[in-house]
Amino acid sequence: MFALVDAVAFYASAEKVFDPSIRKRPVVVLTNNDGCVCAVSPEARKLNVPKFEPYFKLRNFLQQHQVVIRSSNYELYADLSSRMMSVIGRFCDNQYIYSIDESFLQFTGFQSIINDWYAYGQEIRLAVWRETKLPVGVGFGITPTLSKAANHAAKKLAGYNGVAVIDDDHSANEILAKMSVTDVWGIGGRLGKKLNMMHIHTALDLKKQNPKHMRKQFSVVVERTVEELNGQVCLSWDDVKQAKQEIFSTRSFGERVTNIHDLKAALSTHCSIVAKKLRQQGSMTKRLVVFAHSSQHEGNFYKRSFLYDFPVPTSDSRVLANAVNEILPHIFAPGVRFYKAGIGAIELVSEQYMQEDLFSPTLDNKKLMGSIDSINKMFGKGTIKLASEQQTKTWEMKRAFLSPRYTTRWSDIPKIQC
Amino acid sequence: MYEQFYELKMKVIPIYAEAGISGFESPAAEYTELSLSLDELLITHPNATFIGVANGDSMQGVGIFDGDLLIVDRSETTTQGDIVVANYNGNFVCKIIDKQRKQLLSASAKHRPVSISDADEFQIEGVVTRSVRLHRKSRELLSCLL
Repeated sequence: MFALVDAVAFYASAEKVFDPSIRKRPVVVLTNNDGCVCAVSPEARKLNVPKFEPYFKLRNFLQQHQVVIRSSNYELYADLSSRMMSVIGRFCDNQYIYSIDESFLQFTGFQSIINDWYAYGQEIRLAVWRETKLPVGVGFGITPTLSKAANHAAKKLAGYNGVAVIDDDHSANEILAKMSVTDVWGIGGRLGKKLNMMHIHTALDLKKQNPKHMRKQFSVVVERTVEELNGQVCLSWDDVKQAKQEIFSTRSFGERVTNIHDLKAALSTHCSIVAKKLRQQGSMTKRLVVFAHSSQHEGNFYKRSFLYDFPVPTSDSRVLANAVNEILPHIFAPGVRFYKAGIGAIELVSEQYMQEDLFSPTLDNKKLMGSIDSINKMFGKGTIKLASEQQTKTWEMKRAFLSPRYTTRWSDIPKIQC
Repeated sequence: MYEQFYELKMKVIPIYAEAGISGFESPAAEYTELSLSLDELLITHPNATFIGVANGDSMQGVGIFDGDLLIVDRSETTTQGDIVVANYNGNFVCKIIDKQRKQLLSASAKHRPVSISDADEFQIEGVVTRSVRLHRKSRELLSCLL
C-alpha cells in the first residue's frame, strides 16, 4: 500500500500557523517579486480567486473581498515543511519526500497491523494538525499513481473528509470516474487534449485503455500510468528521484531593467545559481539557453532567447558567465524595459561519464568551484561570487507583503499576550 | 609462547609527552560529544515546539514576566491547570486553563478570569512547558521586545 500525504494550499496554510488573526480569513500568497498568485487558501478558493494570475490584475478584486495578501516567505515554509515531514515520517518506515509539501509513504508488511486505512489516515491528519497546525490530505492507493488519485479525491471531492482509500478495483473505479483525465499524475494539459480527442475524458476512461496501445500512441510513460491505474506498481522512488534533466534559473526583476549592465549582472547571478545546482547533482551541461523579455502586459512585447553550445560540457560558473557575455549583445536592445531574464542548462551529462575532447581541453576549474561552494556553504550564500554579479540591491526580490520569519529569526518570534 | 609474550609486554619503553612538539592529546577528546545542549534540555518534541515572547504582566504569579521566552509544545496533552498558549479571538494568549469552568485564568490579582463562550474563537495551541528569563537583555531579542 502507498500513501500520498500533502498539505492543503501549503503556502497559504503556512501563513496561518503563527498568525491566528487570519486563520479563518481568505489568504493568497504571491510568487517571487509579488508577480502572480501561487497559493490560494480554501476560503479564498470559495471566492473564485484564480491561481497563477498576475497580482496587479487581481489587486482590486482582492481588496474588495478583504483577502489577506502575503509574499512568499521561503524561510518559514522550509522550516514548517521539515517539521511536517518529520511528523508524517513517524507513521511509516519508508518515506519519500517528493516536494516541499508532498510526501509518499510505502507500507510493506503493514497489512497485519493496520486493518482500517481510513482511520490510519485520519490519525496522520490529526497528528500533523495538532503538532504543526497544517492541514493535510491523505490518499491511500495500491500504486503511487492511485495514491495520488486518492489524495486528489480526499481534498477535492465531497464526502471524503481529507482521507480517501483505493484498496481494490471497485474503490478505484468509483474515484477515477469523478476525476478528469488531466488530474491523473503525469497527464498534463497538452496530453489531456489529445486524449480528449480520443474520447478519453475521465481518469476511468484512461484506466480502461489498452496499455500497449497507449505506448504506441504516446509513450512508455502513459503505458505505465495506465498499468498503475489498474493496480500494477510500475514506478519506484528511484525513477522519481532521477537527477534533473534541465536546470533553469529565472526571475522577474523587482524593477524594470533598461541598461545592459544590470541585465548582465542578473544573468551572471543566474549563471552562479545554475552552475552550483549542476555541481550539486554531479552534472555538467553541454548547452545553455539564455533569454530575456519585457512584460507581456505592456505594449511592444520583446523577447530574445539564444542557445549556446559548449565544446566541452561544463559546470563552472565562470564558463557559463563567459558564454552569457558573448550572447548578451544579441539579447539586449536599447529602449526595452526588461521584465524577466534567465538561463537554463539543457542537455546535461553526468560528471562521471564526461568525455574529454582531445582538441579543446576543459576550462573548468573543479578545485576553485569546490572551494567557492564550501566557503559559501560555511559563511552564507553569496560570500564569494563572480565580480559580474550584481552587488546592489535593486535586483533583490520584491516582497512587499512578507510575514515575519517566526521560526528562523529571533527578532521575528511570535508575541504572546499575557 | 605465553611467557615470551609476557616478557615482551614487560619491556615497555616509556615515552614522555612533550608539549608543543608531539602535541599532547587532550584526555577529554573522547568525551566531546557529551557537551550540554539547552535544546535537548528544554525541548522534548522539536517538531511540535515553537518559541514565543511573553508580552504583559498577567502571568507574574507563575513566574512569567514581560519579555520572557515561552517554549510551547503542541504535542503535549493539556490537563487542568496547565499554562497554555491559546488562540483567543485571533490573538495568541498565555493563560492558565480551567477546563471545568471553561475559563482562562491569569496569575495576577489585577486580571479577572475570562470565560470562553461559544461565540469566541478559541483553540489551544500548546502547553507552555518551559519559560526562560533573560536577566541581561539579549541583542538578538532587542527588536522583538519593543
